[in-house]
Amino acid sequence: MSSDYEYDDDDYYDDEDMIDGTQDDDEISDDDMDIADDIKSAAKGKLKSYEVDYDSLSQSEVEKHIRDDTEHICGILGVDLSTAQLLLRHLKWNKERLIEAYMDNPSKVLVDAGVALTESHSQPQAAPIRTQSSSSSGSNSRRPTRSSSKLIPSRSSRSSPTSPTTSYSIPKPLKASKSIQHFLCPICFDDDPALRTLSLDCEHTYCSGCWTAYVVSKVRDEGEHCIRCMEEKCQLVAPDNFIQSILVPEPGAPVGDPTEEAENAKVWARFQELLIRYFVSCNRDLKFCPYPSCTNTVSCPSASSKLSLTSVVPIVSCGARGIGGQDEQLSQSQGRLGALQGKEHKFCFGCPIEADHRPVICAVAKMWMKKCRDDSETANWIKSNTKECTNCQSTIEKNGGCNHMTCKKCKHEFCWVCMGPWSEHGTQWYSCNRYDEKAGQEARDSQSRSRASLERYLHYYNRWANHEQSAKLSLDLYAKTEKKMEEMQITSALTWIEVQFMKKAVEELDKCRQTLKWTYAMAYYLAKGNEKELFEDNQRDLEQAVEQLSELIESPIEPENIPTLRQQVTNKTVYVAKRNEIVLEDTANGFLDGRWKWNASVDGFDDPDPSLIAF
Amino acid sequence: MDARLRRVNKEITDCKNDKTSNVKIDLVDESPFHLKGTFPGPEGTPYEGGTFEVDIVIPESYPFQPVKMKFITKVYHPNVSSASGAICLDILKDAWSPVLTLKSTLISLQSLLCSPEPNDPQDAEVAKHYMTSRSSFEETARYWTRIYAGGPADESKSGQDPVAIAGLEKAHVDRFEALGFPRDKVIDVLRRLNYRGKNVTQITDDTIVEKLLS
Ligand SMILES: [Zn+2]
Ligand SMILES: [Zn+2]
Ligand SMILES: [Zn+2]
Ligand SMILES: [Zn+2]
Ligand SMILES: [Zn+2]
Ligand SMILES: [Zn+2]
Repeated sequence: MSSDYEYDDDDYYDDEDMIDGTQDDDEISDDDMDIADDIKSAAKGKLKSYEVDYDSLSQSEVEKHIRDDTEHICGILGVDLSTAQLLLRHLKWNKERLIEAYMDNPSKVLVDAGVALTESHSQPQAAPIRTQSSSSSGSNSRRPTRSSSKLIPSRSSRSSPTSPTTSYSIPKPLKASKSIQHFLCPICFDDDPALRTLSLDCEHTYCSGCWTAYVVSKVRDEGEHCIRCMEEKCQLVAPDNFIQSILVPEPGAPVGDPTEEAENAKVWARFQELLIRYFVSCNRDLKFCPYPSCTNTVSCPSASSKLSLTSVVPIVSCGARGIGGQDEQLSQSQGRLGALQGKEHKFCFGCPIEADHRPVICAVAKMWMKKCRDDSETANWIKSNTKECTNCQSTIEKNGGCNHMTCKKCKHEFCWVCMGPWSEHGTQWYSCNRYDEKAGQEARDSQSRSRASLERYLHYYNRWANHEQSAKLSLDLYAKTEKKMEEMQITSALTWIEVQFMKKAVEELDKCRQTLKWTYAMAYYLAKGNEKELFEDNQRDLEQAVEQLSELIESPIEPENIPTLRQQVTNKTVYVAKRNEIVLEDTANGFLDGRWKWNASVDGFDDPDPSLIAF
Repeated sequence: MDARLRRVNKEITDCKNDKTSNVKIDLVDESPFHLKGTFPGPEGTPYEGGTFEVDIVIPESYPFQPVKMKFITKVYHPNVSSASGAICLDILKDAWSPVLTLKSTLISLQSLLCSPEPNDPQDAEVAKHYMTSRSSFEETARYWTRIYAGGPADESKSGQDPVAIAGLEKAHVDRFEALGFPRDKVIDVLRRLNYRGKNVTQITDDTIVEKLLS
C-alpha cells in the first residue's frame, strides 16, 4: 500500500522558492502526474479550454498520503514511524533525496533531522549510565533508529517505586523521567515532589507543565511544527507522539482543568494542520485552500510548472462551500454575504490571488494588481459613489449594479462609467469598453504625455473597479429582492421554484462581472492590433448583455408582472452565460495558440516589439 | 502561583543574592515584568569603565518566548542601534531557549560587547566604521563610553585629536569652524548628529548651522 504512487523527486524544490509559489522549472515531466493519477476521482466531463484538471483532497486524504509516504520510508530505511516522520520533514518530503542522503551517511542525517544526538553531545549529569553505553558502541555501530536508546537502561526501572505519578505510561519512544529526589525544574523552578517530568532522548528533563506551555507557545503563537528540546543548543526534535502525550491526556490520566484541556486539544489539532500544510507546501502539485478555516487541499499537476502558467489560468475549487462554521451567524451589515453563503471555494492554483481571475493569466493579473496598488492614490476618486449629472449637475448616487443612470431631476439618461449618453450604448458603433488610442496618440504629441498615460490607465481601472462595485451592489439589491420574493410567496400563488430565476440571474451576473473585471486588466496590457480588437468586441458583447440583464433584475417586481419578467430574465441569463463562455473560451484558446501579444514585458513571454510598447 | 511570576521573582532574587556576579537586575516600577539590567563594560574593551543599562520587558509567554531587551545607555557597537539601542543577538530571537535566564542573557550582552559581529550588523554605519578603521572605531566607542556610560577620561589619550575621538573627519569640522563657530561646539554638534558615512550627504548644512546657533 505504500508504493502505489510516487512523487517525482527530481523535480522537487530544494530551496524556499516553492513557499511563495514561484517556480523555476520549465517542464512538467510525465512522472509528475503520478500522484494525480492515483487520486483522480471518477471520470469528469470533458474540460473546456479555460478549465484545468484538478482534484480536491480532504484533510484525511492528505493524511493518508502522508502516512503512505512515511510507511514507505520506514520499510526502506528500517526506521520506526516517528523517525521516518522527522526525516521526511527535514528533507522537505523528498523521499529520493532522503534515501540517498541516508544511505550515504545515516548518522549525519539523523543528527541533522534532530532525531539522534551528536556523538559529542554531553549528557546532563542525571544520566551517567547512558553516556557510558553509547560511547562504547562507537559511531558506526550505533543503530540508526530511535529505539537504539532503548538499549540503554531506562531510568524508569530505578525510579518507579518512589514516584507518585506513574499510574499511567507514556508511548514507547519517550521517557517519563520520574521524580528524582530533589528535582528542580530548571525553567519554572518548581520542586514539588509530585511533579511529572519528561525528556527526549537527550535526557534534558523539565516538568510537564513547562513542556506543555512551551509546545503551546510554539504551535499556537509561532505556527511552528518543528519543536526542539528546550535546552539551549540541543537540536533534538520532539516526535509527534511526544507532542501528543503532552497535549492529549492519556486514558486513565488524572482529570485536569477542562478549559486547559480543551485549549490543548485545539493546539493538537492545529499541530496536525501545520504538519499537513507543511507537506502540501513541499509538493508543488498541491495547494492548500486559502479560505478561512478550510482544511482542504487541491491537487493540480498541470499547473505546477511556471511554463504552464503562460497558457492556462488554473482556477480550482477545493470542493467545499461556505465560509467556515463559526462565521455562520452574520451580522445585518454583512447581509451581502448572505447571498455569498454557500459560494464555492474558488482560487487560483498558480498565484496568490484568491479569486477567479480568468481570462487573464497569473503574470498579467499580478502586474495589474501591482499597478493598481501603486496608483491607488490617483485612482481613489473613482471609488466615490456619487457623480454629477452631465446635464443638470445635480448629484446622483449609484445604488444598484446597473450602469444605466437616469437623473431624478432632469431625466437625462447616461452611462455611469463613461458619462456618455445612454441612448448610444445599445448601438454597434458605440464602444464604452474601448480606450481611444488615437486620443492618446494626440495627447502624446503634446507635452502631456504622463497625463495621457494616467488617463489610459484610468480608463481601464475605472471599468475594472466598476464591475467589482456593481457585482457587490447587485448582491445588495438581490438581498432586498429576495425578501420581497419571499413575501410574494406568501401573498401570491407563486411557488419557491418559481422565484428562483432571480437567484440564478444574480449568480450569473456575479460570475460575468468577475470575468469582465479581469478582461480590463488583460486589455490594459494587450498590444494594439487586430487581436486586441477582436478581444474587445467579445468584451463589449458580454458587457452589453450583462448591463441589460442587470437592468432587467432591477425593474420593479409586482406579482402580476412576474411571469413576463421571469421569461425575460431567464432568457437573458442564458444569453449572458453564453457570451461569458465565448470570452473565456476565446481567450484561453488564444493563450494556447500564442495569439496574445503584450505592450509590456510579461514573465514567460518574449519582450514586446518596441513599436507595441504602451506609453 | 503563576509560573511566569514565580520564575521571574526567583530570577530577581537569585541575581540579588549572587555576590560574585557583576550583573544587576532592578524593578523599574511595581511590575515584575518591566525591569532594568545593569552591567559594567568588559575589561580590555573600549567599553571598559562604563556602566551599561538595559531595558527588559518580559513577554506574556516568557520563558517560552524570548525576553525583550534593548540598551538604555547609548552604545557605539556594530550590533547595537546607535539611535534606538535595539540589539541584534541570536539568543534574543531564534536561538532563545527557555533555560536561558535574564542574568545569562545580560552576560551574553556583556560578551557581545567583547566580540562584535559586524557581518550581522544592527547599525550599518557603525559596522562600516568597525570594518574600515578599527582604531578609529575604538576611539569613538571609548568616547561614547565616557560620555554616555560614565567611563573614565583617558589620561594617556589627553592631547589626542578630539576630532578623531568623536569619529569625525577633520575636513568637516574645519569647514564649519571656518564659518565662525567654536571648534568644541562644532565637534559636539556633528558628533550628536552622527555626521558620518551617508549621513554626510543626508544632513544639510542648514540643519547643522541651525543646531550650532541654538
Ligand atoms: Zn517546569
Ligand atoms: Zn535536549
Ligand atoms: Zn476550501
Ligand atoms: Zn493566478
Ligand atoms: Zn440631471
Ligand atoms: Zn459607457
